[in-house]
Amino acid sequence: MKKVFARHESALLALLIVELIYFTIAGRRFASADNISNIVRHSVEIGLLALVMTPIILTGGIDLSVGSTLGLSAVIFGKLWRDAGLPPAIAGCGAIFAGGICGLLNGALITKLRLPPLIVTLGTFSLYRGLAEALTRGVDAFTNFPDSFLFLGSGGIGPLPTQAWILVAVAIGIWLIVHRTILGRSFRAIGFAPEGARYAGIPVERRLIFVYTLAGLIAGLAALTYSARLGTAKADAGFGYELLAITAVVLGGASIFGGVGSVHGTLLGVAALAVLNNGLTRVPAVMNIASELSGVLTGALLIVALSLGALPKQLAAWRARRQISGHSN
Amino acid sequence: MKKNFREFSVLAALLLLLALMAVFTPNFFDPQPLLSRMTAAAPRLILACGVALVIIARQIDISIGSLFAVCGTCAGLMAAAKLPLALAMFASLATGALAGVINGALVAGLGLPSIVVTLATMVTMRETLRLAQQGVFINLPPAAQWFSLPMRTGQFAICAIALAILVALSVVMRHVAVGRFIYAVGSDAEAARLAGIRPRIVTFGVFVLMGALAGLAAVLNMVQSPQVDPNTGRGMELEAIAAAVVGGVSVSGGRGKLWGVFVGLLLLVCIGPALTYAGVKPHWERAIQGVIIVLAVVAEGLRNRKVAGV
Repeated sequence: MKKVFARHESALLALLIVELIYFTIAGRRFASADNISNIVRHSVEIGLLALVMTPIILTGGIDLSVGSTLGLSAVIFGKLWRDAGLPPAIAGCGAIFAGGICGLLNGALITKLRLPPLIVTLGTFSLYRGLAEALTRGVDAFTNFPDSFLFLGSGGIGPLPTQAWILVAVAIGIWLIVHRTILGRSFRAIGFAPEGARYAGIPVERRLIFVYTLAGLIAGLAALTYSARLGTAKADAGFGYELLAITAVVLGGASIFGGVGSVHGTLLGVAALAVLNNGLTRVPAVMNIASELSGVLTGALLIVALSLGALPKQLAAWRARRQISGHSN
Repeated sequence: MKKNFREFSVLAALLLLLALMAVFTPNFFDPQPLLSRMTAAAPRLILACGVALVIIARQIDISIGSLFAVCGTCAGLMAAAKLPLALAMFASLATGALAGVINGALVAGLGLPSIVVTLATMVTMRETLRLAQQGVFINLPPAAQWFSLPMRTGQFAICAIALAILVALSVVMRHVAVGRFIYAVGSDAEAARLAGIRPRIVTFGVFVLMGALAGLAAVLNMVQSPQVDPNTGRGMELEAIAAAVVGGVSVSGGRGKLWGVFVGLLLLVCIGPALTYAGVKPHWERAIQGVIIVLAVVAEGLRNRKVAGV
């Protein structure tokens, strides 16, 4: 299993290097310090969501509502700050808390009612986005944030953009949880065999509630960096981000069936997507269609990564079947 | 009655809603606006029926909104090029079926989870369409309107086609072996295999049928307006899934009736105007739709718990 891991991640690293070389040659001013800091700045939200999606996918689950949670948290932040007159720091805590509640609701529905995560989060995907639209009457946008808050989105500390430090901190935290604690191992155990994990004494329900709540909290945090980066909080914040986060995790070598995956793989996946997305806007030939093209390529990349992941298993099954029929002849 | 409790309770909710509307806003039942509303809902009914079959087979397809837009654009371009409408219709169905083949091959052939596969095809199709069409509307020739029939007849024709699909699929699901196979595969694929059914072929077929139905729905939608909007269909997959789930189709597969889906869709279609009449602002519509989906899911969860005896 270790070997498969290493192979997958080196393939992804190779893809990333090819992207970097290609865009450095073909793109205009791609490899400038400004642009690199720009890439990092723009990948923080996707990175945060992908990081918390990793434990969820490890347990064999999925969360389609993270993008909507981000949108709802952004709107709640705006409401608390502008309409309730709270200072940004407290409003920010409120947004993170709201995200946590969203995640907790997902986790509670999934575990207490024993429903598939897919259908629960598909429902809350629509619910949270709908609430965000309702709270802003569909058109309202929160702007004119104070400079101290905007610093989070456009300032820098040391060599990195401000929000990148948050990503680094969360990445280290999640990496330690997933790869260095018993808690992290229990996610894999649940992903491999939920019943087996239960018999082994793992409190499966509590673990699942934990990963979904964590996803909600971090989505709330991502809502803050998103609003600070764009200088505006609207109901459509983070639309479609769930797909990018899932793509990054699957590209990073996690099995969508659970049990297999790594946090460093996810980070490589995020980097590959972010570089692709930014690089295309720097290549003169496709500059005008960069956003569409990067969408097509992201979707196609996800399909290819999934197929390559599943193909060996299918081939092995097919060979085994042929062998059995060969013996019986 | 007890067996189909879920369907009958949704039917009761619909009748109650209609009764309230009859008392408070009788003009809801004026024939012409009602017919227009039903015509507008006809493509949704077809999508909901298709996605109900997919869910009964224990899969999901969230690419149908994008597919709906791709098929509509395809048919629209052909109609705008003055090709016969029948040809445009065929092209739309074929495009849909082809996308269904891709989804089905990835799900049934490679054994990948349908949610991730259709999430990927959803975004790939949507972005490809954006790339090709750049958001430009297609102007349709007047001949394409209402199948070149007078408007009223055209509206009746569209409703009749949608209802015919509903009835045909209900009969197949209930009385034809293939329909029973879909239930069997959805409730237990391994048991179905041991009983001599080939689950992969059934799953594949359901996705292809879903694609073709999305193509048909796109044509029924296209003939209703003088333009084709390439951005159409966003969120339509959720509406269809909501109709199916509200109508009693079990998200864990193997259970559901198409007449329940029909009632579920009518409930969702009527609730928008009902809320408007009741003075609720339209920006709440999506949130209320979300609440309804979550409630339907919770209802199913509670039912499962009761069945499991926990």
